[in-house]
Amino acid sequence: MLSRRLFLATLAPALAAPALLRAAEGPLKIRDLYARDRSLSDLAQSLVGERATFAGFMAPPLKADSSFFVLTQRPMAVCPFCETSAEWPDDIIAVYTKRTVEVTPFNVGIEVRGVLEAGGYKDPDTGFWSLVRLTDATYG
Amino acid sequence: MKNTISASVAALLAAGAVNAQDLPQASNQWFANGQAAIQERLARQPNTGRAKNIILLVADGNGVGTNYATRIFMGQQAGGLGDDFVLPYEAFPNLALVKTYSTNGQTPDSAPTAAAMNSGVKTKNDLINIMDSVAVGDCEAGAKAGTKTFAEIVSEEGKSVGVISTARITHATPAAVYARTVNRDWEDNSLVPEGCAQKDIAMQLFDQMQAGVIDLAMGGGRRHFIPEDVTDAEGKTGKRTDGRNLAQEIVDMGGAYVQTEDEFLAMQAPGNAPILGLFEPSHMMYEADRSGEPSLAEMTEAAIKALSGNENGYYLEIEAGRVDHANHDGNLARTVRDGVAFAEAVAKADELTDDADTLIIVTADHEHAIAFNGYCGRGSDILGLCMGIDEAGEKNTGEPLLGANGKPYTVAGFLNGAGSVLKEQADGSYSGSYPELTQEQATDLDFLQPALVPMSSETHSGEDVAVYAKGPWAHLFNGVIEQNEIFHVMNYAANPK
Repeated sequence: MLSRRLFLATLAPALAAPALLRAAEGPLKIRDLYARDRSLSDLAQSLVGERATFAGFMAPPLKADSSFFVLTQRPMAVCPFCETSAEWPDDIIAVYTKRTVEVTPFNVGIEVRGVLEAGGYKDPDTGFWSLVRLTDATYG
Repeated sequence: MKNTISASVAALLAAGAVNAQDLPQASNQWFANGQAAIQERLARQPNTGRAKNIILLVADGNGVGTNYATRIFMGQQAGGLGDDFVLPYEAFPNLALVKTYSTNGQTPDSAPTAAAMNSGVKTKNDLINIMDSVAVGDCEAGAKAGTKTFAEIVSEEGKSVGVISTARITHATPAAVYARTVNRDWEDNSLVPEGCAQKDIAMQLFDQMQAGVIDLAMGGGRRHFIPEDVTDAEGKTGKRTDGRNLAQEIVDMGGAYVQTEDEFLAMQAPGNAPILGLFEPSHMMYEADRSGEPSLAEMTEAAIKALSGNENGYYLEIEAGRVDHANHDGNLARTVRDGVAFAEAVAKADELTDDADTLIIVTADHEHAIAFNGYCGRGSDILGLCMGIDEAGEKNTGEPLLGANGKPYTVAGFLNGAGSVLKEQADGSYSGSYPELTQEQATDLDFLQPALVPMSSETHSGEDVAVYAKGPWAHLFNGVIEQNEIFHVMNYAANPK
C-alpha cells in the first residue's frame, strides 16, 4: 500500500511532466527563464540541454555575417535621453545559429528554436558575456 | 455706478438660479456627489503659513494622457471600471496645467524641465541649471552662466535636502537638484570631453554632499560613482576613469552607503552625515520586475524619516523615473505599473507629513506621444482592446470594436516608437499593416502598443502636464502656468512675504 507521502512524490512528476512538455513544444517567453530574484527558473533548469522554442526579437547584430545574435524580450529600443550608450537588459538570450544570421528588423517578432544552455560564457569573437544561450538554433 | 450695475447683475443671476433640490435629477447619485463636491470646495481655506517642508514629486513623462492610463489601470486593478478612480494626488485641492516647452524645444527633454522647477528659469534642451544664453556642450560659457538652485537657497536657510529617483541618480531630473551642466549626459568623468573644466554630474553630487547642501540621495547609477577597476555588490565594475571611489569617500566622511534592499532595511541614519543609496549600476528596475530593491514608496518613507530630524525642515525631490522609460519602450503595461508605484509614494509622503507645514507638489516634467482610441465602453482594459458600449447598461459589451479594416484595436497607442506597424523591409522601405490582435496578446506584460512612425525609441511630446498641490501656498497653482513657476511657488512658500 502506498503511503501518502510516497503517493504524492510519484504523482508530482506525473503532473509536472506534461506542463514541461508543453513548454518545450510551444514558444516560451524569455521571462519564463527567470525567477523573481533573477535566478534561473525551475522551468529553465528543467530545459537545460533540451531543444526549446522562444519568442522574442532580434537585437541589431553586433557583427556582420555572424552566426550569433541576441534575442530580446521586447524590441531593443534605444532612447537617446535615457542612455549614454546602448545597454543590454537583463532578460536576454544569446543565440548561436546553425547558419549565418540574416538580419530581421529589431521590432519584428521571431521564434527561435535551439538547445538551451545555461552558465556564464564569454563569446571569444565579440566578448559578449551571456548567462543563457540557445545553440544550434534556427529562427523565423 | 459700476459697482451698482455689478450688484444688480449678481442679484438677477441669483434670482434666476433654480433651487437644486427641486430638479428632477436631484435624487441621482451623480447629482448628489456634485453637490457634495461644491460644498467641500466652499469650505476650503487657503493655507498662508510658511512651508517648513517642501516635497516635489515628479513622475517623469507622466503627462495628462499617461496619467489617465495609470488612473484607469489602478482603478481596474482595484476591481472597478477604472475611470471613476481617484489617484491619491487627484484628491489634492489645487491644480494647474503646465506648459513644458524649453527655450529651444517645442518638445522638451528632462534637463530643462527639471531646471525650470529647480532654478525658476526655462533653458535649452540638454542643459541643467545653466542659463539659455549658453550652447549645449560649451564648457567655458557654461561655467559663467550657472543658476543658484532651490536646494542651495533653502540649504543656506538651514533646511536639509534629499533627492530620490528610480532612474540613475545622475539622470536629468534628480541631477537638477544638485548639479549644473552644459550636457546632461556627462554623468561621470569618462563622459566629459578632455579640456572641459566642468565636473561630471556624479562628482557634483559628491561635492554637494561634502558641502552639506545634499543630505540624502537614493536611486540607481552606482557605476558613475566607482572606478572601472572596482566591483559593486553585483560584481559589476564602475565607469570612472579618475580612480575616485565616490561611494567609499562618502563612507570615509562618516556617511552611510547602501547598495541592496537588505542594506537599505538595516540602514541607520548617520546623524549629521550624508546618506547615499545606489541600488543598481544603471537605472533601478521597472516596478513590474522589481526584486531586491526598495520601492519608491519605501525610499520616500526612509527619506522623510531621515530628513524630518531637522527642525528647520527639508526640501525633497522624488522622481518616478521609469514611467518615462517604459513609455519610450512603447510598453504601457510597465508605464502604468511604475505610475502606480509613484501614486503609492505620493500617498506615503502625504501620510507622513502635516498639511499645515508641508507643501506637497505632484507633477510631471513632460508628456509622451501617447494617444487613446474611442469609443470604448466603460471597463475596457486600458492595456487591451477597445470594447463596445452597452446601450442597456454600464460595463462594456465584451465585444471588441473594429476598425474599417475589420480588425480590433487597442484603447491606447503611440504616435511613434518601436511598436510601429510600419516595419523595415528587405529593400530598406517601410510598410506594414495593423496586426490582428487578441485581448490576451494586447494585455501581455511585454506588449508594445501599436504606433505609427517607426522609431527605435518613442518620443516625448510637448503636450501639457498637470501639477497638483496641497499645503502652504498650494493655492498659487491655478490656471495654465509656465513650468518655471513651480520654483517660484516653492520659493515663495518657503519664505512668504
